[in-house]
Amino acid sequence: MCARCPTISRRTLLLGGGAVAASLTTGVAQARILPRDMVPLVGPGFRPTDKDEQGIWQLMDRAEEEIAGSNLLIQDAKLTGYLKGIIGRVGGPAARDFRIYLAHIPDFNAMMFPSGFAVVFSGLLLRMRNEAQLAGVIAHESGHFLRRHQIRGWRDQRRKTDIFAIAAMAAGVGGAGAGVYLGDYVQLAQLGTLLSLFQYSREMEAEADAMGARLMAESGYDPIEMSNIWQQLIGEETASARYRRKHRRKGSLFDTHPSEGSRMADLRLDAEEVKLPGKPYETARQRYLTTIADIRPTLLDDQVKLNDPGASQYLIDTLAQDGWNGLLRYYEGEVWRLRNRHGDDIRAGQSYAAAVAYPDAPADAWRWHGITLMKAGRTVEAKSAFSRYLAMKPDASDAAWVRQMIG
Amino acid sequence: MRKLTATLALVASLASSACVQTRQFADVQFTPPQGDYKLLVLRPDVTVGSLTTGGMVEARADWTEQARANVIAALRAQQAGRGGKLEILERRSQLKGISEQEVADFERLFYAVGQSIVLHKYLGDYLPTKRGKGLDYTLGEDAVRLGQKTGYDYALFLHAEDQVASGGRIALGVLGLAGCVVGFCAPNIGGATQLDYAGLVDLKTGEVVWFNVVRAGSEVPGIKFGDIRTPEGSAQMVERLLGRMKPGLEVRRAQAAAVKS
Repeated sequence: MCARCPTISRRTLLLGGGAVAASLTTGVAQARILPRDMVPLVGPGFRPTDKDEQGIWQLMDRAEEEIAGSNLLIQDAKLTGYLKGIIGRVGGPAARDFRIYLAHIPDFNAMMFPSGFAVVFSGLLLRMRNEAQLAGVIAHESGHFLRRHQIRGWRDQRRKTDIFAIAAMAAGVGGAGAGVYLGDYVQLAQLGTLLSLFQYSREMEAEADAMGARLMAESGYDPIEMSNIWQQLIGEETASARYRRKHRRKGSLFDTHPSEGSRMADLRLDAEEVKLPGKPYETARQRYLTTIADIRPTLLDDQVKLNDPGASQYLIDTLAQDGWNGLLRYYEGEVWRLRNRHGDDIRAGQSYAAAVAYPDAPADAWRWHGITLMKAGRTVEAKSAFSRYLAMKPDASDAAWVRQMIG
Repeated sequence: MRKLTATLALVASLASSACVQTRQFADVQFTPPQGDYKLLVLRPDVTVGSLTTGGMVEARADWTEQARANVIAALRAQQAGRGGKLEILERRSQLKGISEQEVADFERLFYAVGQSIVLHKYLGDYLPTKRGKGLDYTLGEDAVRLGQKTGYDYALFLHAEDQVASGGRIALGVLGLAGCVVGFCAPNIGGATQLDYAGLVDLKTGEVVWFNVVRAGSEVPGIKFGDIRTPEGSAQMVERLLGRMKPGLEVRRAQAAAVKS
């Protein structure tokens, strides 16, 4: 176009890009955030005083009203009281200000909203093996609030998009004035801005983990359980991917959270640091199992119906590390029956047979055990299994059919 | 030549820089309520935020409160002119004889149906089965029961969101405009925008009888077109949204026929 114009060579562009990328990737493997540096930034009864934060809180009040009245919530007083008790214990200075809701969603998730209310998904209750693990997730979420992550994240985003907008405009106008085309650099800067936002988000998550470990130790839960959660999740995702003949997704520059592996490793170190010698730390497995006993069948039922046999089987095996029982064996059978590949009916039948050997076998285990026996031509045993089913569930919707089968 | 193109582009972008679009749909049998009717307004959903330099929206509690109060006042004044009796719910618990949960369900149902209306009437995914039928949506028996229990004839839902361009955004726009002189023209980076919609439900039949969407925006930050934080801006918004309710297609045809004969 014009001979005088200085042009940006491909080499300088690549060099610049390489430098940006290198500075960002080193950011991914950032230094571990230490629990002792994680001081809560809010005290009891915190209310926002800055305009931007007040705006967010007002939006959140409306969001909370929606969530609190949602028909997706599990309203069981025993369970909600239990969650409230846990957040009251690991919530640090804001323990009394938090609200916590349990949503009926079969997924591994929990979230903290900027105004101090948390939502826990029911899928979390299925995956946690003891109270300390559940408390670990809740402590992590509390950490987000105590470290004021939402407002800090928002301000970071606002600042960076502002800088980018001004720089891009200045580059355009200035470049045009000087006769240089800076569009390639602007695109690079856009990518850089974006990546730096994701990096900030990962940093916040790492902070919440460190803060969480500290809260756990202070309230007498064994902080190592936080690390174990990630080990379980990695196992679940690997099993799920293997079954689908895929690979488990590895971390990228666009992740909002640090990789599960690095969280697991960092939390292991955190746990060592925050524990005081001689102080007892509990996992409270028995209390956890007793509290969720009533809802566990529903949780398992939700999971097996997700049509993710790899994950379901892994979860059931993990829970069974604390001992097999009739409920787990029955749902193991359900995973195979619903998968329905060649030979799965036999595997399912074996699980049902194993399930009914336990005193806590659910009525449906007897029903499917009966059907399996009937198919195998063992009518007498099948009829006795059906009778057992009817005795346990006299008003079952298929009672008439089962009675006919007994003859 | 280059200067001329830049100037032309500048003039064209300024001309189209502030615009207000409104488009309403009505049931074919719809007649705008007049005279002695009772109207229930469910929690007007008003939010006002600030548009940051980088183009993000920052919610502002004080502006929102101010705008909500003004919108409600403007709504009262506007409806008083039509002769209707009006009650505006500010909380879900305020409706006598109806539980908070029922009001919540009713609101959610309306927003779900409203989303369908926006998708199929405004965003281009037109449904062949609804062509030429005006507005053909209903909230069903629940709405009729609500009408019977409370004695209201109509329920109105109103949503208004306004984004005010911040100082930084305006400055950025000015810079973009100034760039036109040197040949880098970015005058329309986007400034204040307002999105309002409202839906009217006939509580005797449960049908959504009227729906209107107003979009107002200026591509050049700094150019205003009604700020709902002020009483005048709110009155203008309510007038744009509700002031020109048109009767349904069949009613209009009948009126036209009556005039001819």
